[in-house]
Amino acid sequence: MEFFEARQITKRFGGLTAVGNVDFVVQRGMIAGLIGPNGAGKTTFFNMITGVYLPTEGEMYFENTELTGMKVFKITALGIARTFQNIRLFGNMSSVDNVLVGEHCRLKSNFIHQILHTPGMLKEEANARAKALDMLEFVGLKRTDAEVFAKNLPYGLQRRLEIARALGAEPKFLLLDEPTAGMNPNETADLTAFIHRLRSELDLTILLIEHNMSVVMGISDRITVLDHGEKIAEGTPAEVQKNPLVIEAYLGKGSAEK
Amino acid sequence: MKAEIKLALTMGLLGGVVVFLFGGWSVTVLGILIGVFMGLSIGGRVNKKDGPRKLALQSLSTAGIAAVVFIAVSLFQNYVVAPAGGQFPSELYIVIPANLIGGLGMILFTALTAALHGLPDRQERLGKLILMVVLVIAFPFIDRITGLHWSGQIIFALIFVILGLGLNIVVGFAGLLDFGYAAFFAIGAYTTGILSSPQHHIFMNFWLVIWIALAMAALWGLILGTPTLRLRGDYLAIVTLGCGEMMPIIFRNLTNVTIKEPLTCWIIPGIMRLFNSSAATKCITIIDNLDLTAGEKGINPIGRPYLPFIGEFQSNNPIPWYFLIILLILLSVFLIRRLRDGRLGRAWMACREDQDAAVQMGIDPVHTKLTAFALGAAFSGFAGAFYAAYIRGIFPSVFEFSTSIIVLCIVVLGGMGNINGVILGGIIIMGADRLFLPALKDLLKGLMDHTILPALTSNHTLQAVVAQNANPILYRYLLFGLTLVIMMALRPEGIIPSAQIRAELHADEETSAVEKAVKN
Ligand SMILES: Nc1ncnc2c1ncn2[C@@H]1O[C@H](COP(=O)(O)OP(=O)(O)O)[C@@H](O)[C@H]1O
Ligand SMILES: [Mg+2]
Repeated sequence: MEFFEARQITKRFGGLTAVGNVDFVVQRGMIAGLIGPNGAGKTTFFNMITGVYLPTEGEMYFENTELTGMKVFKITALGIARTFQNIRLFGNMSSVDNVLVGEHCRLKSNFIHQILHTPGMLKEEANARAKALDMLEFVGLKRTDAEVFAKNLPYGLQRRLEIARALGAEPKFLLLDEPTAGMNPNETADLTAFIHRLRSELDLTILLIEHNMSVVMGISDRITVLDHGEKIAEGTPAEVQKNPLVIEAYLGKGSAEK
Repeated sequence: MKAEIKLALTMGLLGGVVVFLFGGWSVTVLGILIGVFMGLSIGGRVNKKDGPRKLALQSLSTAGIAAVVFIAVSLFQNYVVAPAGGQFPSELYIVIPANLIGGLGMILFTALTAALHGLPDRQERLGKLILMVVLVIAFPFIDRITGLHWSGQIIFALIFVILGLGLNIVVGFAGLLDFGYAAFFAIGAYTTGILSSPQHHIFMNFWLVIWIALAMAALWGLILGTPTLRLRGDYLAIVTLGCGEMMPIIFRNLTNVTIKEPLTCWIIPGIMRLFNSSAATKCITIIDNLDLTAGEKGINPIGRPYLPFIGEFQSNNPIPWYFLIILLILLSVFLIRRLRDGRLGRAWMACREDQDAAVQMGIDPVHTKLTAFALGAAFSGFAGAFYAAYIRGIFPSVFEFSTSIIVLCIVVLGGMGNINGVILGGIIIMGADRLFLPALKDLLKGLMDHTILPALTSNHTLQAVVAQNANPILYRYLLFGLTLVIMMALRPEGIIPSAQIRAELHADEETSAVEKAVKN
């Protein structure tokens, strides 16, 4: 079976079909791109993978486990973590605490351990903290940023902190929703290089929603194009770029052409 | 320099207002307390490198101004206000030492506390700790020697401090708006009442009962939380309000509890009836017509703690009670800190910040919120047990909506999520309610009877109106509301915000501007 597979997945909101009958496969180790004009249903697709939305029809599998209908936090524990299109950090918590929240599902201590300060709990906390600090360094935050409230970080670092928080959950499958949104060309280039590092150094499989065409074309092994919730094209970047349907979807709508 | 003078005047007047009401030796106690507070305030802004000696000297001018204002008010109280209220001014042998020690104490403690800030971090913390310990231990004895008799009311305030600490877990840490927290206070108190009063012929030891009360409050937190915590925000607030309203009604009405054993009373007769059998079975009643709570009359008397050497705690000696509640507060703070600084505490805060994002980071929202609710409730079990034993009697009306609101005010005033702030908030709000307002009432009454009303004899209607309305206790909730509105407008971060929150609240505008600039 595939690493991740969605079969005939559909999500309707009342009369609106946000995602319709999409088949979608991701192989282990891939960087898969998901593109499409605004409102095409990309974020909705993410929300179905992470369990926030229950698909109206169809089913999804991750490493032989059926995801459909599973509780959101259990899906995270299976090894799927995400970032958000509009940053959703825990603003009034420090950077390092944000990453520690990401690690939550990998930690075991409960409130009794916490009250008693059992040796196991203290050791787990120390390790978790060390790991969180490493993670912050890995994504490019300075040591001095660790105790800063997430909401007081500059925008670019907030985006990176979101990735660090997702990495805290030790995912196998990382979902990035428009990670370069709002970044300038320099920051975008840095982040693109960083996504490559994620795959090579952390052995991750990545599904990337991206508006910036040069980024997504340069980085993805395979690209899937959604328009009005339907899959209109799929293939290597070169194939997709030539596809007349794709060109029409983008130029016809006149959106997101950068 | 300007800020220092402002601080000096505010503190001098603030102390003056209290002294204005109490007179006598209160000037000494207040002087020292305000000195410490000023020292902390000054020490927070100075340059650490200056060293203790320089800091102490720097604080002297501020302390001096404050002390002069303070003593001026105190003397005004004694020689102008007291006689106008029909009281004799204190004798010189009290006035001179009280004001002298008060003024000098203020200056000395300001300097001392400010100086602590110049020490290396570790010593600074140790110094502050020792100072606090000394003050807390000395308070009830000074209170007794000077004849102020504040301890009894301060103990009430400290009960509410525990309630505030517990509610702070729910509201401050986990972000769950709970308008019915008094319900758990009631459960703790009634558990204690039922298990240690002659009404039920059960006389359980207080030291055991307090833990049972804790467990019962937590258990009811789970029971009430399980259905309600699925709701969010406003809806949760409304439902908790409903639960809080129910509790006193339930306790009012648990006056004839009958529990029948279901098998013999309903199931077997039901089956018999199905088969049209007329054979009668005997219904076994487990509890028959038990008056559990005695309704409006309440439960009383309730057993009290006993310790070797001290004996049974008595009403006329607040000192053992005072130290017991201080101990309970220390224990609560210790436990709450440990809960906060770990996996569970982080999960609480993540849910407070953004529940949807938290769940997608792997946090089980139901479990997280339930633990907050139950553990928050648990601490009100401490408060309830202590309250029941201290008052010796409990009545349903104590646990009504207004109690929940006062505790909520304490949390908001103190600064949500801030343990030290909640402690101070509890002392200030309940101190105002239990000490300040009654004293203000007496003062006004005195002034009315001796000075103002006689001056109004020409206009009888006005005289009657003034006489009727000159009771600040009538405006208790108005004053609470006003305090809250003013606080929210001037200091939304609470009285002593943690440095982090303060930085964040004031950096807020800048950050969002930067964000916008980057996005464009
Ligand atoms: N919770 C919701 N309720 C109703 N409509 C929704 C909801 N979420 C998304 N939609 C709609 O579904 C469509 C796809 O949205 P989305 O997945 O966010 O698009 P994008 O591809 O830009 O990420 C849009 O028309 C959006 O308005
Ligand atoms: Mg989107």
